[in-house]
Amino acid sequence: MKIGIPRALLYFWYGNLWERFWKVIGWEVETSPPTDHQILKSGVELAIDELCLPVKVFLGHVRYLAPRVERIMIPHLIKVEREAYICPKFMGLPDLVRHALPSLKPQLEVIRVGPKQTDLVSCLEKAALNLGTTKSLVYKARKELRQPLKSPGQQMSEWFQVNNGETLGSKLTIGVLGHPYCIYDGFLNLNILKRLSSSARFVTPEMLPENFRGVGSGKLNKRLFWTMGKLQFDAVDWMLNQVKVDGFIQLVTFACGPEAIVGDLLERRIRDLKKPFLRLYFEEHSGEAGLITRLEAFIDLIKYRSRAC
Amino acid sequence: MLRVTFPHIGNCYIPFRTLLQELGIELVVPPLTSQRTIALGIKMAPEFACFPLKVNLGNFFEAIEMGANAIFMAGGVGPCRFGYYGELQRQILKENGHDLEFIVLEAPKTHPLELWEKMKRYFPRHRLHDISRAFSLAWYKAEALDRFDRLANQIRPRVNQVEAVDLLQESFYNSLDRACLGKDIKRIGTEALRELRELPFELRPKPLKIAIVGEIYMVLEPRVNFQIERMLGAMGVEVYRNIYFTDWVRDQLVYSIIKPNWRKQLSLLARPYLNSFVGGHGLETIAHTVESGINRFDGVVQLAPFTCMPEIVAMQVLPTVSRELSIPTLSLIIDEHSAEAGIKTRLEAFVDLLAHRIHRGRSKAGGRKLEALSGY
Repeated sequence: MKIGIPRALLYFWYGNLWERFWKVIGWEVETSPPTDHQILKSGVELAIDELCLPVKVFLGHVRYLAPRVERIMIPHLIKVEREAYICPKFMGLPDLVRHALPSLKPQLEVIRVGPKQTDLVSCLEKAALNLGTTKSLVYKARKELRQPLKSPGQQMSEWFQVNNGETLGSKLTIGVLGHPYCIYDGFLNLNILKRLSSSARFVTPEMLPENFRGVGSGKLNKRLFWTMGKLQFDAVDWMLNQVKVDGFIQLVTFACGPEAIVGDLLERRIRDLKKPFLRLYFEEHSGEAGLITRLEAFIDLIKYRSRAC
Repeated sequence: MLRVTFPHIGNCYIPFRTLLQELGIELVVPPLTSQRTIALGIKMAPEFACFPLKVNLGNFFEAIEMGANAIFMAGGVGPCRFGYYGELQRQILKENGHDLEFIVLEAPKTHPLELWEKMKRYFPRHRLHDISRAFSLAWYKAEALDRFDRLANQIRPRVNQVEAVDLLQESFYNSLDRACLGKDIKRIGTEALRELRELPFELRPKPLKIAIVGEIYMVLEPRVNFQIERMLGAMGVEVYRNIYFTDWVRDQLVYSIIKPNWRKQLSLLARPYLNSFVGGHGLETIAHTVESGINRFDGVVQLAPFTCMPEIVAMQVLPTVSRELSIPTLSLIIDEHSAEAGIKTRLEAFVDLLAHRIHRGRSKAGGRKLEALSGY
């Protein structure tokens, strides 16, 4: 049997884990290719206009996989930690897919994580058992997954570190904030990491060391209830105090719900500490020229600032 | 001395005023939401925050102009953005030089007594007797309001002059707001209902029945949804609103604590279309649409603020519900750029469509024909 994993949404956190799990179970795994124009277009066609771009991209990936595999894995991530949600759109993701692509209904393999059982591996095991996998195989998979795995996001940021950061000679460091699918989906954000890496080093929230988790978000007056928002606060705290970045770029998709609130709070915190901050919105109509101009201007600003101080 | 204010949501300022005054708080009720409120709010709020946040922020600015120095509001723990309104609004107001105290009413974090401690600190009159009196008076008012609104929505398409209902509504609101004894509230309520029933009406063919579903703030606040109930009523439509303040309080504050599966009925209704709770009123929107479809309503209007996450999920699901239960739906997204004329045109077109659909169904088969029509 062949299972398809869409390279969208939180693939950039859990993708390697998913792939390894299904391989150990004995399935053939096909991950959809990085987003391209065709995938985006086929996703946008299906969705209502108000839906956010990452979900439209996800629909495109599902549509790409449909004729190529027997099953498509739909991660239904309600909660991946006890006291925080991901986003209402993730909570309704299987329903969104079902209604946008009614013909694929029997093909979908929904992995439900939360609201009570928030351990991803246990939920995968449950789904595998339901599909008729033997207990011994599941046990083997659990053992295999015990050793820590790097997420695709981490791998990508490390790749940029090794290949560009060292040879650069520039001393500037920029903190990139945003949801993982905004940072690592090169088509969605018009290859911003590549553009950035030619003129400065950067750090991403996924590079946050494990022991800094919960530090930044713990300083908030009210507990935040979105996992990705919390990670960004932790990351800002770490980037300011440990990495000592020179400026921040936040990547947001148009009309992202949680980011409207989290982004504003982040901006306030960064502004209080007097660091430069640039927020870039992405949507299906984003143009390269506007992006490059703004990015160049921002990097110039940071350069002058670091010389002046 | 604390001078407390609260955000507007529909007509709830009437019961809120009673509640807080009975608890001995000095109260500043902000002026009713107007264009100025919205303009003040959008100046300071983040661009993509949802519309209620912006309007409430405008309410706070106007209340501060009137001398308020503390804000009373509800909180939550997600996933809807409403839970974080308080914190964000506090920071925005602080940045604009108003360092106000926010009294956020939410489920206690550590110990149930925490809520009680909070109440004792802020409310001068906190004996058990005062509290029960305050809550019961406020509840009577809320119930009277909802009862009147329900009847008004049913009567509007039937009376000779629609304006008479609106006038009656205004005077009822005013006299109810002034009443402060339990028996007065009761008397005003029954009298208003009687007057409403005695309005001259004529016998007409059965009016269209449209259900209004959607996000609670948009449904409850007539000054933001362009008085959609009156507008539809004037077009000769019987409006069934699915969200009332008293229902909401009963469900969220009472049933959610004492009745473990209080949401079961709704989730069963929504299950074929929406399997999981998506925060806010997303599930309710689908459940009520299904309900209206089963009960053979003529149409459903969904109201949502721009970028509302739960309603967007519901919106993607609605066309399927509409097709399978053959109930036409119209989704209206409202934000600060919406204009009355635009909303009115779309509603008129929708109502025309429904009338035509019924006419066609009757002429062909005698009964109402089941047919597919999806749209928004």
